[in-house]
Amino acid sequence: MWDGYEAEWDYPFGAIRFAIAPYVDDRGKMSAIHVDRITHRYGQRTLYRDLSFRVPEGRVVALLGKNGVGKTTLIRLLMGFLRPSGGSCRVLGEDAHDLSPATRARIGLLLEGHLTYDFMSIEQIERFHRPFYPGWRRELYYDLVDRLGLPYSHKIGNMSCGQRSQVVLGLIFAQNPELMILDDYSMGLDAGYRRLFLDYLQDYLNQGGKTVFVTSHVVQDMESLVDEVIFLQRGGELLQMDLADFRRDYRCYAFEREGTEPPRPDALIRSVDTHGGQPRLYAFAERDGVEKHLAEHWPGVRLGEELAMTLEDAFIGLTGKY
Amino acid sequence: MLGAIILKEWLKIRWVWGAALLVHLGMLVYLLLAMRHQFQVEHSEMIWYWAFELRRLLYTQIQYLPALTGAVIAAAQFGPEMLGGRFRLSLHLPVRGDLLVWSWVGFGALMGGLLALLDGAGLYWIISTWFPHEAAESALLTALPWLLGGWVAYFGTTLALLEPSRARRAVYAGLTLAFLALLDQGHGYQEYDRIMPQLTGLALLLLPAVILPAHRYRHRS
Repeated sequence: MWDGYEAEWDYPFGAIRFAIAPYVDDRGKMSAIHVDRITHRYGQRTLYRDLSFRVPEGRVVALLGKNGVGKTTLIRLLMGFLRPSGGSCRVLGEDAHDLSPATRARIGLLLEGHLTYDFMSIEQIERFHRPFYPGWRRELYYDLVDRLGLPYSHKIGNMSCGQRSQVVLGLIFAQNPELMILDDYSMGLDAGYRRLFLDYLQDYLNQGGKTVFVTSHVVQDMESLVDEVIFLQRGGELLQMDLADFRRDYRCYAFEREGTEPPRPDALIRSVDTHGGQPRLYAFAERDGVEKHLAEHWPGVRLGEELAMTLEDAFIGLTGKY
Repeated sequence: MLGAIILKEWLKIRWVWGAALLVHLGMLVYLLLAMRHQFQVEHSEMIWYWAFELRRLLYTQIQYLPALTGAVIAAAQFGPEMLGGRFRLSLHLPVRGDLLVWSWVGFGALMGGLLALLDGAGLYWIISTWFPHEAAESALLTALPWLLGGWVAYFGTTLALLEPSRARRAVYAGLTLAFLALLDQGHGYQEYDRIMPQLTGLALLLLPAVILPAHRYRHRS
């Protein structure tokens, strides 16, 4: 198993340090996506610094974060449309900036806003894409677009956002890729079509060996879909966990304070929400640990009951409301 | 795959190309009627005197048509690619990026070339209807810089549209206009004959040059 490589070589002009992270994670799974210490800047603004994560093969991983944290930029970096200032991105074992045509054929890519060729009709766009992909599944595309009840000659530019998204998702399913990268698939989809998409995605995953890397603003959809979550925060802080571990370990507690300041985030308390009704604090800790911590650092604060959370509640608890 | 690439390009330009075909045919018909009218209202000797003694061009109506058509075809092809960053969709297709871009411009140049061929053939036929074939050949040679202007306008517009950097886009637009101005310096017969091979060679350099903005689009930071 490749365990990575680190070395420091001395040259007359100075030392050069090499560090190549392993492409196999601790479960022994190969990485479909491997982001290694990337730094990216927009002008003077640093969006990420030394950002690293992996998407293991055969897993469904969601990238979650508030607006403006750089989710779409990260996907552009992964697909080689932007070059990071530092670090490297590898997708299916190849440099994201130099993906071979054969590797691109293995990646189904949904760009933000369900970007597609608006000047084509339903039939033309399928005819255009089909020759590029040897495993093309025409029936999946037409199964999805038939539900729109539109003639095949209908131009995509004349469709609603939701209808267009269905055409684009149909094309990606027909491609039957090994890796799907979906940037905000839920944009413009109503609840019914979102559910339909998730059903299709489940069928796709049931084939086995498929990897999905997805961003979405509809956090509740992720609950039944993903294996792992990556929370990306402003400044590039990142937390990657198994969804089950996150749901089990991340806790929300009500609290009351007796004339003192509310607690502030620290090494144990992840965030505090005093807006709205019941004040809440969030932590990756069980009740005993939090009580002990409060007694030591915030003696005027009394811990209330533990509150049940949906994934969306937990997401907001982790990233904050505003 | 090539069939699919051509299908997309055809879908993008078909209306514009159809309209351009009508305009080119219309201009040739206009030129034919104008020439016939001249021969009906003037003595042949007078027209000969204008054309070959005073060296007045009788077919300037089509002078700027190729350049205009080249720019319009390029805009129809590459405008939709650049709107909303759709070029990324094409760059994700499992085809080498350089071959893809050359297929696009090859198709666009071919479709523009068909119109240029129509102009050339039409001009030769119209001139040879009233003048000896030497005059028709001379008309073709005189019109060559205009036809080359179509190639320059097509590739110049393509470069300016594909280029992600605004500063470079302005440079490409400026160079294209300068090249077109260079092709518009002559006002008589066959004034570019001796420089045409060099100008054609220079214009051919635009063909490999389109890879540069496409490469920069993909690899920008």
